[in-house]
Amino acid sequence: MKTARFLLIVVAFALCVALPPYLPRHLVDLLVFAGIYTIAGLGVGLLLGQCGIANLGQIVFYAIGAYATAYLTVYVHAPAAVGFVVGIAISAALALAIGWPILRLSGYFLALATLAMGIIANALFFEWDWLTGGTLGIGGIPKLQIFGFVLDTPLRFYYLVLGVVAICMLLAQNLIRSRTGLALRAMRDSQDAAISLAVNPRWLRTRVFILSAVLGSVAGSLFAHYGGFANVQSFGIEKSINFLLIPVLGGAASLIGVVVGALFIAFVPELLSQFGSVHQMLFGVALVGVVVLMPAGLTGALAGIWRRSVDGAKP
Amino acid sequence: MSGHAEILGVQGVGHSFGGFSVLKNVNFTVPHGSIVGLIGPNGSGKTTLFNVISGYIRHQHGLVAYDGEDVRAESIQARSIAGLVRTFQTPKVFEQMTVLENIMAGAYKLTRSGVIEDLISLPRSRADMRRITELAEEVCAKFGMEKLRHDLALRLPAGQRRILEIARAVIGRPRLLMLDEPSSGLNTNEIASLRRWIEQLRAEGIAILLVSHDMELMTVADRVHVLYFGEIIASGGMDEIQKNAQVREVYLGA
Repeated sequence: MKTARFLLIVVAFALCVALPPYLPRHLVDLLVFAGIYTIAGLGVGLLLGQCGIANLGQIVFYAIGAYATAYLTVYVHAPAAVGFVVGIAISAALALAIGWPILRLSGYFLALATLAMGIIANALFFEWDWLTGGTLGIGGIPKLQIFGFVLDTPLRFYYLVLGVVAICMLLAQNLIRSRTGLALRAMRDSQDAAISLAVNPRWLRTRVFILSAVLGSVAGSLFAHYGGFANVQSFGIEKSINFLLIPVLGGAASLIGVVVGALFIAFVPELLSQFGSVHQMLFGVALVGVVVLMPAGLTGALAGIWRRSVDGAKP
Repeated sequence: MSGHAEILGVQGVGHSFGGFSVLKNVNFTVPHGSIVGLIGPNGSGKTTLFNVISGYIRHQHGLVAYDGEDVRAESIQARSIAGLVRTFQTPKVFEQMTVLENIMAGAYKLTRSGVIEDLISLPRSRADMRRITELAEEVCAKFGMEKLRHDLALRLPAGQRRILEIARAVIGRPRLLMLDEPSSGLNTNEIASLRRWIEQLRAEGIAILLVSHDMELMTVADRVHVLYFGEIIASGGMDEIQKNAQVREVYLGA
């Protein structure tokens, strides 16, 4: 079972590396977005899958990453790395400042608190046009360069995003398999019992919240470099909902679920857009379909089929 | 082991909810390595007393001393790390985790790697996990749960959940284990097995504070205290308690 899983991951990764050069440009473009969404969705997925927290505020940190990159590279002419680092630092500090008071809450109240955080931030991004450019946003963000190599095509950028996704997945996997991962799942299942085993829920949740914010910020900075602009329309509450949908659709129990969910969010609306004006309705129907028919998400449903077939094959 | 004769000392503990006194001047001790029982009718304050001792409730009056130290200001976590661990009236297992992972979670407090170390999988993080896994495998085997170790705790019957909760507490090397109604929902065989475990743990030097309605199980205790409307009305061996006229009247119904 373990070897099969490992082989599957190796084959999937090899395909991710080998296939894109042969794909049309617009598909590679969608893959780049799927990768960026995976990074932001991974943070939300860790909170949902490991801590049982529904975070509807990821857009705040995604936007902070994007604006930090936009402002610093365009107005201050700072190197791209500075944009990433400053975005991460602001996001982490804000996640600590907001997370510490709100992570005492749980369930719907916590979800509502994160939603409120997203709504307030969106209003501020709109109002603070001296910083964010308001509705006009900030354009002309330079393309990323790595050792003088300009990532100016979707394919080149894709490989950068793929690398970042791989690193983030590896780190998240480490966390899940560590003592911290054990403690997170323990308090997700029974907070009282976890406390009796010396787990400190508020501290641990705040740390994962900060980690999630950092991932959101990195994704936002990548988005800004890729698109070349950052404006407030890109950071609406519907984007936050999409980030939460990523682990919900893909399956919050596994990291692969986040990738599958991000592919769904990036590709399905695009596929449906050929049906014209009803495409948003169709997307809604697709969402409801997945949630109703596959409560454990797409990967959860696949795992169920796999288990049944293995059990069925046993004598 | 410290120089104090008792692992737990409860002195003059009182607590009230909204003006209603649930505990009134409760005094008792748990000597090292002994089994002390608490009985009393429903609503007599047993669970509140449990919550006070384990730190889930900050009580209003009196002193709770663990190993000679006043622990009133200590968090639940600090008490747990010091070896004061409880189970719950309704077993609280981690349902979406396997049996082995449940036990592993009990060893969380024996290790120290931080979130960043765990993220990057530094040597200390990997060593901690190896240690947790080895210990959990040992405890799992000790409690006869090897065959169930990859099953989700959700699938365990009530009896196994109780045992799992105890195994999860034991891996963390408790010095005082507080069991809240451990025999409720168990069949006769399971209760017999539970009794053997309680005796075995005592033999290993763990003191046990036992709350139970089960008079048969209570005979395992060295000393029993009867709680009635928040007050201890009788103390002694189980046979003395059963003969006490006041206890018979208010509790044993004879």
